[in-house]
Amino acid sequence: MSATGQQRSDPRTASVEPRRPAGSSDKRFRAARVSEIPPGARKIVEVEGRSIGVYNIQGAFHALRNVCPHQGAELCKGLVTAAVVSSGPDDFRFEREGEIVRCPWHQWEFDIKTGCMVVDGKVRTKSYEVTVEKFGVSVEEDYVMIHL
Amino acid sequence: MQTSQAETPAPADKKSKAKRPIIDCDIHQISGMEEIKPYLPRHYRELVEAYGPAYPGGMHFNGGVGGRMADAYPEDGGRAGSDLALMQRQHLDRYNVAYGILTGEGYGIQATINYDYAAATCSAINDYTIEHWLSRDSRLRGSVMIPKQEPRLAAKEIDRVGGRADMVQVIVCNGATLPYGNRYYDPIYEACVRHNLPFTIHVGLEGEGINSPPTGAGYVTNYIETRCARPSTMAAHLASFIFEGTFERFPTLRVVLQEAGVLWLAPLLWKMDQEWKGLRVQTPWVRKRPSEYFREHVRVTTQPIDEPPSRALFDALLDSVHADETLMYCSDYPHWDYDSPKQALPKLADALADRVYYDTAAELYGLPPREKEAEG
Repeated sequence: MSATGQQRSDPRTASVEPRRPAGSSDKRFRAARVSEIPPGARKIVEVEGRSIGVYNIQGAFHALRNVCPHQGAELCKGLVTAAVVSSGPDDFRFEREGEIVRCPWHQWEFDIKTGCMVVDGKVRTKSYEVTVEKFGVSVEEDYVMIHL
Repeated sequence: MQTSQAETPAPADKKSKAKRPIIDCDIHQISGMEEIKPYLPRHYRELVEAYGPAYPGGMHFNGGVGGRMADAYPEDGGRAGSDLALMQRQHLDRYNVAYGILTGEGYGIQATINYDYAAATCSAINDYTIEHWLSRDSRLRGSVMIPKQEPRLAAKEIDRVGGRADMVQVIVCNGATLPYGNRYYDPIYEACVRHNLPFTIHVGLEGEGINSPPTGAGYVTNYIETRCARPSTMAAHLASFIFEGTFERFPTLRVVLQEAGVLWLAPLLWKMDQEWKGLRVQTPWVRKRPSEYFREHVRVTTQPIDEPPSRALFDALLDSVHADETLMYCSDYPHWDYDSPKQALPKLADALADRVYYDTAAELYGLPPREKEAEG
C-alpha cells in the first residue's frame, strides 16, 4: 500500500492482497522524517524488530520488509531500477523507472509498489514464496508512518 | 526417503540446527592477476604489465554485480572476495562454517594454449592462496589449481603443493578439450591418487579459449544459455569417467561435480544403467552398474540447488542421486548466485542434513568429524 499524504496513490496495488493487510492492527510507528526520503530515495529503518525499506517513488511512500522471500538476503540494499521489457531480440525498453528493486544476491526483481515478483505476480508458487512482505504507510505531519 | 519426517521439526531441534557446524565446499577467494602477479616469474610479470593477463574467457556477460553478490563488496571499495574479515563476518562466522574449501578464481588460465604460462600462473595462484588465505584462517582449505591442458605439467604442480595438509583437492574448469575420463589426463589422476586428493570439476570456461564448444549444437548467445548447457558438459565428463574405465584404472580416485546443479543427474544415472545392460559388451571393463561407480567415486555439491515445483519431486530426485552418500553443501560465496546455508535447501531430515552439511565432505577431504552440537 502506498500513501501520499493520507491518499492511496496507485490503483494497481488495490488488486494485490498484501500478506499483512495494511491497517489490520494499525499500530503506527514513525519511520523517518519526510525530508529524509526525497523522491527516488530509500531509507532502511528498524521498526519493532523488523528491518524495513521505505521508498519514495514520485512522492508516494512504500514500505517493504528488508528480507527477500527467496533466501533471506537484505532485499532493500538492492539496486532500484526499471522493469526491462521487450518486443523481440535486441529490443530493450525500460519502464516503471525507479519502481523495481533487484535483490543483492540473485537479482530477483520485485515491484516496490506491490511487493510482487516481476515475473510472477502470484502470492505464492508451490515451492516457495515470491512476495515480499509489505506494510501500510502514511504521512502524518512531517513523519513517514509505518503501520504494523 | 527419510525426508518426510522433516516437515515438523521441534522448536528446540530447530534452534540447535542453527548452530550446526557446516562445511562449505565452494568459497571463492579472489585470486585474479592483480593479486597473483607478485608470485609470477619476472618474464611473465613483465608481459602481463605490458599486455594484460591474456586469459581466455569473458565471451558472455555474467550475473549480479560484476558476477558477485551486490553486498559482498568491502566498504573500502575493494573487490568482492578480497577481504577475509568481510568473508568471516558475512559468511564463515555468521553461519558457523567449520571448514571452507577455497576454490579461487582465474580459471581462464586453464583455457590457454600457452602451457608454460598456464603452469606459472597456476603456481602463482596456489602460492598466493597459501600465503594470503590458508595461513590466515585455520578453517580454510585450498584447491590446487593446475594447468590441466598439459597433464604432465599439471602433475608436477600437484606434486609441488598437493602434499600440504591445507591443500585438499585438485580443481579444474568444466570446459575442456577432451572429456575428463580420457586417458590423456592419466598423469593428473596418478598425481591425485599419490596425494589422496579429489579431482573437482567446477563449472566455467565452456567454449572459451581452446576448450570445446559449450554445447553439441555449437556456441550459444546468452549467459543464461551457457548456464543451461553446463549440465550437458558435466554429464559428458561423468559418462567418460565411467565408460573409459578411469575408476577401474584409479580405484581410489574421487571426483567432485561442482556448480552445474544436482537433480539432472537422476535421469542420467537411470539412462547410464539402462544403456549399460545392452551395450556392456562394448566396454566390458566397466564391471559394475554405472550408478554404482557414481556412488562410490563421485560427489556433488549443492549450489545452485534446483528448485523443482514441489517438495515431493525434490525429495524423490534427491533420493535418486543418492544424496545421503554423494551430496555436499556449498555456497559459492561471494558469487552472485550464492546459496545461503540456512535457506537455499528446504529443511532436510536430521540424518540427511548431517551428511549433506558436514559428514560427506569431512570424509572426502579428511577433515575432523563434527563436534557434538551444543545443548539446546
